Amino acid sequence: MDILKIENVSKSYTGHVALNDVSLSVPEGCIYGLLGPNGAGKTTLIRIINHITAPDSGNVYFDGHILNAQDVYNIGYLPEERGLYKKMKVGEQAVFFARLKGLSKKEATQRLKEWFERFDILNWWDKKVEELSKGMAQKVQFIITVLHRPKLLIFDEPFSGFDPINANMLKEEILKLRDAGSTIIFSTHNMSSVEELCDHITLINKSRNILSGKIDDIRNSYSPNRYMLTFNGDVTVLQSALTDLVTYQIESVPQSSDVQMFVDLKENTSLRDVITIANEKVDIRGIVEVKPTINDIFIQAVNSSNQ
Amino acid sequence: MNSKIGIVIRREYLERVSKKSFIISTLLMPILMLAMMVAPALIVSMSTSDSKTIAVIDNSGFIGQHLKNGDEVNFVSVDIPLDSALARTDLDGILLIDGEILTKPSGVTLYSNGASSMSIEMNITSQIEKAIEAHRLKGYNIENLDKILNEVEATVSMQTFRSDQEEGSNASSSVLSYVIGMIMTLMLYMFLLLYGQMVMTSIIEEKNNRVLEIVVSSIKPSQLMMGKIIGIGLVAVTQILIWTVLISVVSGALLPVIIPAEVMSEVSAYNAGTINMATAVNDAEMIQAISIISNVGYVLGIFGFLLLFLIGGFLFYSSIYAAIGSAVDNIQDAGQFQSIVVFPIIIGLVLSMTVVNDPNSSLATIMSMIPFTAPMVMMARIPFGIATWEIILSLVLLYVSFIAMVWVAAKIYRVGIFMYGKKPTIKDLIRWINYK
Repeated sequence: MDILKIENVSKSYTGHVALNDVSLSVPEGCIYGLLGPNGAGKTTLIRIINHITAPDSGNVYFDGHILNAQDVYNIGYLPEERGLYKKMKVGEQAVFFARLKGLSKKEATQRLKEWFERFDILNWWDKKVEELSKGMAQKVQFIITVLHRPKLLIFDEPFSGFDPINANMLKEEILKLRDAGSTIIFSTHNMSSVEELCDHITLINKSRNILSGKIDDIRNSYSPNRYMLTFNGDVTVLQSALTDLVTYQIESVPQSSDVQMFVDLKENTSLRDVITIANEKVDIRGIVEVKPTINDIFIQAVNSSNQ
Repeated sequence: MNSKIGIVIRREYLERVSKKSFIISTLLMPILMLAMMVAPALIVSMSTSDSKTIAVIDNSGFIGQHLKNGDEVNFVSVDIPLDSALARTDLDGILLIDGEILTKPSGVTLYSNGASSMSIEMNITSQIEKAIEAHRLKGYNIENLDKILNEVEATVSMQTFRSDQEEGSNASSSVLSYVIGMIMTLMLYMFLLLYGQMVMTSIIEEKNNRVLEIVVSSIKPSQLMMGKIIGIGLVAVTQILIWTVLISVVSGALLPVIIPAEVMSEVSAYNAGTINMATAVNDAEMIQAISIISNVGYVLGIFGFLLLFLIGGFLFYSSIYAAIGSAVDNIQDAGQFQSIVVFPIIIGLVLSMTVVNDPNSSLATIMSMIPFTAPMVMMARIPFGIATWEIILSLVLLYVSFIAMVWVAAKIYRVGIFMYGKKPTIKDLIRWINYK
């Protein structure tokens, strides 16, 4: 079941197309990475999902029905550019936002106290926001985003401004939310956190969806048949033996006489053939498949779609 | 959905009303206004205390004896040439009267040591005029001239009654209407600018703060804008209501204490209809004014209209302010757009100053119908008593244009709040209105 389905959505502003026929599906209960270079159209897409702006054409389905204004109660959004009312007290402000998301004052206060206790920030309740540091304000914003237990959470660069300890804590909270049944859309430029957290990704470039799918499938489909062969022996002998079967790249391993060779299998070559030949010429220390990082895929996909 | 606007209104309202600066200014303002009314009288009474000494060189030998010393000027007859009189520094001025003054009234010259005042000049010319007139009258050899002149002399004090109103006996005091009209207009002017700008700066702040991004994911931009306008509007209404109560208390309780007892007894006699202006001992205009001010019903009526025009004008202007606030990133950029608002408000204020001189001119009538100037011009006219249908028509036009203006403003706002960086032009704003 898809919690969110975007069908052929387009949106343009004067002289500028923000989204061009974008489609994607977000399965329920996953962490979905929404990636793309700056200005690709991610924010516009997120605003459409949040019912802030309407698409020029195309449909957005939420939980099986066409997205409507009531659905904002089931969506939580932590924007990249975020702030709070500076002069307002932390507790009062959190209650205000919770009430806008449909919670009663009593319920909001009770849930907020629980969260504040868990984050050990209960003594901030009566402080004004301007007294908080940036990281402290970020924590409050995170709580505000998730307080109404939305089915769909959208985090835009959630880790920016956090120190490693708090970033880790946040990561764990996000995973907990996923385990509790929320679906999470996660937009970031931090590719290592995408690899760590996301099950699915969509890559948007120049207002189009250029790559969409399960992260494992994508990594497998990108530059397949690349291996790293570690061996000890005469490099030139191996090179000349393999030259018809693979393209390669050689690196020496520091503080060791071992050599690492990255090999890309040519068409109609099997790994077995390569191992057989290599085994005759040198001492094989190990051989592993090399999957491209999301970072590599990102750069490769964006560059090829730009051409 | 509507409850969301309510939540925003509550936040905007409470945030401002609970501020110390609001409480202080609300309580201090009436005192300040009172001081402003008393100050001119105080300044006048203090400035007249030092009288000027003016030397008179009277070549006609006639005028000098007729110049009477007053509060502000002392005349000293001197018998020295002009040159040596001019050299004296102890004199504030030298009045040189030509020998042919009786036949040539322009032969008067005042040499002033320092700036001369208008009131001294008028004092001198009117005294000389009277002396010459009296001299000329004598030339006709009329019997018992002094007695006749005494009998003829009159000091006029006029009362005005409205003949076009049902309770035609209601006396209206033009001077008081003038003053009340001006005060109302100034208050509107102040409120529209102050609170309108409050809407604008608050939107700019939200935008700069990026808190907007979070808010609009829970509430429609148009709802947020309306909530803000209404919330801030309620703050203005609260302030006016507090002032109304304060002023009512002051006029009800303090006036009898401040004003001398014999004046008050005449006021109550006037109110009861037992005396008539012509027989009043004190100044008729003043008796009427006090009688009107101490009439609580009248004060409440005026404030009622003030409130209606204030709310209408505020809603109208603050939606423009909201659109401007959403379009720019900082106050500096707002300057150019602000003239769209400030200009008509100032026009309204300037017009009101002429309107109080002739409240029923066609200019006044037209301008009190155009929503941009209606609140100020109408409030200047109302104290003079104008037809109810005119007031209602003006209010209806104002509120209808407010709805149209909010519609336009919401369209600009919705786009503007997400525009950062480049300062938009008026053309951009118009294009935004047409966005889907």
